[in-house]
Amino acid sequence: MRRYELMVILDPELEERTVAPSLETYLKIIKESGGKVDKLDIWGKRRMTFEMKKKSEGIYAVIDMHCEPAAIKELDRQLNLNEAVLRTKVVRPE
Amino acid sequence: MGARSNKTFKVKPKLSKAAAAKKFKKKANPLKGVEYIDYKDIALLRRFISDRGKIRSSRITGVTVQQQRQISAAIKNAREMGLLPYSSSAR
Repeated sequence: MRRYELMVILDPELEERTVAPSLETYLKIIKESGGKVDKLDIWGKRRMTFEMKKKSEGIYAVIDMHCEPAAIKELDRQLNLNEAVLRTKVVRPE
Repeated sequence: MGARSNKTFKVKPKLSKAAAAKKFKKKANPLKGVEYIDYKDIALLRRFISDRGKIRSSRITGVTVQQQRQISAAIKNAREMGLLPYSSSAR
């Protein structure tokens, strides 16, 4: 099990209160594979320094978790399939 | 006579060089108390980029080589996520 940190940028046109539940459904991948989600932090709307997919704003969320490498890989893959996800980043903090 | 005066001339610049070396003072490390450079800490990273968004060299900021690597990696991560600009020539 490793510690991971995932940052997701979502479409700003989404309803902000639907963000947490929809992310939770994705995080089932982690829970089902035996990992655990330590923290789900939704920053909310934030202006980006440049446009992504013609959008100048994004809803940022940061998730801290412990899981197997395969589980995070699958989560990242599935998030990127979603049109409402502008960008993701997985890092392993020291 | 001419050779002698030359010699005295050679000594003078040596002295001024030594003085210049003494004047060159190491900068205080601006990263004291920071053990992990997080790409989400934009306020910290902003101190290491110029007005145009370029990464400042360690010669200017006075951080160690290892820290400079961590800083540049963090800035690049932050840029990818739209937290810091790649360039801001508009300013």
